[in-house]
Order: sequence, then structure tokens, then C-alpha cells
Amino acid sequence: MQAIIPDYRRDLEIRRYPSYVYVLVPLAALVLQAYLPRLLGRFAFMDLPVLVTIYFALNRRSPIHGSILGAVLGMAQDGLTQGAIGIHGIANTVCGFLAASIGIRIVVENNIIRMFLNFLFTLLAGAIVLFVTRILLGLHMQVNWLDEVLRAVGNAVIGLVLFPVLDLTQLRD
Amino acid sequence: MESFLSRYRNLIVLLALLVMQVIGLAVQVRKPAAAAAGVPSPGRDQEDGKSVRLIRLWAAALVTPFERAVHGSGQGLDGLWAKYVDLRHTKDENKDLQKTIDRLRLEQASLIEDARQGQRLQELLKFQQNYIYKTLAAQVIGTSGSSQSHVIYLDKGSEDGLARDMAVITSDGIVGKVRAVFPHSAQVLMINDQTSGAGVVLETTRTRGILRGDAAGHTQVINILADQRIQPGEHVLTAGGDQVFPRGLPVGVVESVARDTERSGFIDIRVKPAAELQRLDEVLVITSMQAHLSAQQQADIKDSEELMGAEAAAEAERKKAAAEMEERLPGLKDPSAPDAAKTPGAVNPDGTPVVPVPATPKPLPARHVDRFSPGAKGEDLPASGGDDTTASPDASSPAIRPKTPPVPSRANPAAPGMPTKPQTHPAKPKTPPAKPQGTGVQ
Repeated sequence: MQAIIPDYRRDLEIRRYPSYVYVLVPLAALVLQAYLPRLLGRFAFMDLPVLVTIYFALNRRSPIHGSILGAVLGMAQDGLTQGAIGIHGIANTVCGFLAASIGIRIVVENNIIRMFLNFLFTLLAGAIVLFVTRILLGLHMQVNWLDEVLRAVGNAVIGLVLFPVLDLTQLRD
Repeated sequence: MESFLSRYRNLIVLLALLVMQVIGLAVQVRKPAAAAAGVPSPGRDQEDGKSVRLIRLWAAALVTPFERAVHGSGQGLDGLWAKYVDLRHTKDENKDLQKTIDRLRLEQASLIEDARQGQRLQELLKFQQNYIYKTLAAQVIGTSGSSQSHVIYLDKGSEDGLARDMAVITSDGIVGKVRAVFPHSAQVLMINDQTSGAGVVLETTRTRGILRGDAAGHTQVINILADQRIQPGEHVLTAGGDQVFPRGLPVGVVESVARDTERSGFIDIRVKPAAELQRLDEVLVITSMQAHLSAQQQADIKDSEELMGAEAAAEAERKKAAAEMEERLPGLKDPSAPDAAKTPGAVNPDGTPVVPVPATPKPLPARHVDRFSPGAKGEDLPASGGDDTTASPDASSPAIRPKTPPVPSRANPAAPGMPTKPQTHPAKPKTPPAKPQGTGVQ
């Protein structure tokens, strides 16, 4: 029962990583996200920056850390597109904050929960991108929801493999 | 106050980040709106502000070196295999390619003259046509990574001569236009992006429209009034009015025609791009549409023009010499002889129409007439020559005359015992002998 108390869990289970992991993993996510569509074409159903944001937010359990990481990664994503800077930034910021907030309250070691969270947050990120583009910017942008769902599924599957690999890089006491 | 900040620290940071980004979005949206006071043209979007460009530059500088490295290593492995291991048939291919190069050089030499002549004529007619004079090959090293943004990155940038709004093509068709240029890379907005726009024209119906992308990454021509003539399979070309793409480049083929659900009377035409947009590897950037010929090209053209001038002069000399020769030499044709073929309605003295004599040479008269001679006739051989083939029988003629009585011919069975014309000599002339060729019949 003590395991679900937030402060107790936070004190005991905050995961820390070497500083180079905080640099290399997001950078690798950006590079792969930009490069893999060249190989996979229209079948590149993934959003690696969102996935990395969710991972670090869940494991660090720090909403501030998750928000900042999401903002930086999202703005870097926007920098690679022709759209306005901040569209993906806002989406990833919200996802990072919510993931960290949830990570404080629930056990995130379970693979089913991880898959579900990845699926949910990826869909949420797509919805926020649509909201910002259509409502805040007033741009007419069509959305293919099937692609969004497939991207969420892709992220859930990739997370199933990626999260245990990233777990290996955490610092042990 | 301190307790409030510490208690709501997470929310405050979140709100600060969101507000900062929303303000940034508002600034980006406001600037293009203010700048768009002029007449917007399809395919020309607004340039980024300095701060936005800086963020794009950082993002590109962060990502493109790794993409270039990954792309280069992949190509290096491919090259290692292709250049050093898999060399079967290389010599034969080299020979074939060398032959092709030789042939193409000859063809190019003639085509370049035709092209220059065509351009001179179009200049005379004040045609506003752009020509592709210079292209730069570039490798595609990455994408935007977003499904909503169909953008690719090239490994060439401003230091290689690229600039904004340059057209990007492949040998199959157009790809997009350069949207942002960095020192060593460039961002290309593809034609299947929702924010892109290119002026196009349908090849057969000459209907003009704007090409843009949709959410699924398909290309479509919008703002087209319903027209029954537009059918799938029609080719789509660039219209040339957008100041980006030269006129007449292939864009794609009409894939389907559907009614516009939002506006009645309009149709949406889905176009299958000619270029394989999902699998681009190498592209060409049109860096110049003005005539900037290299020194070598100018020298080649000068040589070609001199060669053509010399050939024309030689041809004129030949014609002049032939004319002089024609004047000096006597004609082979008798100028006094009328040409029967050219005088319709000519008649013989007996009233029969003149029949043109075929131009066949008259056979020479036989020295010893026999039954095989032209005009020979059964028993009265000596007397049956032509009018100018006077028979002169000699001692040798009976030797070749048939000694046996004539055998009734199958062709004439009703007259047994009657002398018959030898069947071996069917070519007895029934008409008077022809006169010498060319004289005609009077």
C-alpha cells in the first residue's frame, strides 16, 4: 500500500541517468525520426520524440523536467518542418507534464501500462497539434485520423522494445 | 508567496512554457499576415523571421550532420560492394556506355543548334518562356519527420549556390521548391504538402489549376470547374506562371476526378506524381534559368556555327557550279521534239489517239532470221521480218529450220494439218516497230 503513496514512491524510485543519455537519446530520436521516413516511406508510423519525452517523464517523475524536455524536443521537431515553431512544442510539453504527473501516481513498470500510456499520449499529441493548428493558428489542415491511430499503435509497439533498452542506461545506487 | 510558488511550481513552469510558445506562435502568424498585404501567388509562402530562422538553423545544424553521416555510411557500404566487389559485366557496360556517349554527343551537337534557333525565334515572337540552363544535383538526406509536413532536406546549401524558391525536379517530374537554405543543407517543400502550391495545366484540355497536397500526402488539383473532358490518364504539366517552375515540366497523371464536396460545380482532381516522392534519393535543383553558358559550351557552339557556315557556303558553291555546267553542256533531250505525254489530245494522221510509247529499247535486227527471231512467222520466215529487218537467207538457215512437219499445237487443235505458228515464239510484234526512244510519235 505504501508503494502507491506519491511521496514515498518519489523518494524511492526516481530514476537517474548519465547526463550524456539526456543528450544522446533525444538527439538520436530526432535524427531517426527525420531519417527513417526516407526508408519506410508512408509506413513510418512513429513519433520518437514524443516517445522519448514520455519515457523520461515517466521515469524521472518530474513534471518540470518532462515539460522542458517536451518543449525542447517539440520545438526541434517544428524546426525541421515548414510550420510554425511551437506546434509540436506545445503538444510535447503537455504530454511530458501529464506523463510525469501520472508516473508519480501509478506503477509504470508494467508493459501493458506502458503500451497503453504510449498509445494514449501519442494520440493526445496528435490532437493537440490539430487544436493548435486549426484553433490557435486558424489554418485549414486536414487530418487523416487513421494515420494518427496507426502512429499511436506504432509508438506503443516501439516503446515496448525501447523502454527496457533505455532502462539499462539508468544509474544504479 | 514562497509557499505558493513552491506548491504550484510544476503548474507555473508548465504555464510559462505554454504561454511562451503561444506568444511565439502569435508572432509568427502576425508577421506573415502583415507581409501578405501584396498579392499572394500560389507556391510562394512567406519567409521566416530572424528568430524562427535561427531555430530552424539550429535544428537543421543539429540533425543534418548525423543524417549526412548515416546517409554517407549507407552509401559507402553500397559503394564498397558495387565498386570493388560486384564488378561483373563492368567492361561490357563501359563499352556500351562509351558508344552511347559518342552517339549522344553527336546528337547533342545538332540539338543544341536547333534549340538555340528555336529560342531565337521565340525571342523574336516575345515569348515569355523560361529555360533550364543550369542544375545542381543533390542528395536527399532526411525528412521533417512529421506526417503533416512533407519536407525533405538536401545535402547542398547556400554555399553550393542554392537559394530560396528554386525548383527541385527529377528526370521524371517536379518534386518541390527550396523553402529554406542553410549553409550546408536546404529544406525543400514537396508538392504533396498541404501548404505547397504550384501552377499546373492539364495537357489536353489546357485547364489551369493549383496543385497542392492533402492530409494523406496525395497531390490534387483544386479550383477546377466541372469539365466532362477531364478524364483519368491525362497528363499534368507545370503552367510556368508561379515564378518557380519552368513551363512544361511533367507533374503527373490524372488518377481520378471527384466532385468537390464543399463547393458545387467544382471538381477535385487527384494526380499521381510523375516523380516518386516517397523514395527520392537524388534530385536536381534548377539554379539558373538564364543563359549562362560555360566557356567550353560557348566554344563548342562557335565551332558548330562556323562548321554550319562552311557547309552552307560549300553547298552554295556546288549549286552555282551545277547551274553553270547546265548552261554550258548540250541537253540530252531534243528541244525540237514535242513531248507526246505532255500534249494531251494528240492524234495520229488516221484519227486514232496517240499512244505514248513505252521507253523500252528497240531490239537490234537479227543477222540470220529464224523462227526464234522477233517477227518470224512459220513458213515464210524470210519475208516476215520487220520493216527494217530485211531477211537475207544464207546456207546456214535451213540447218536450223525444223525438218519435221509442224505438230498441231494444243492451242490450235481445230486445224490439224494447217501450218501453225511456232509456240516457242509468242512475241511477235503486232504493232509497227517502235521508233528511237525520246522522239515521240508524230
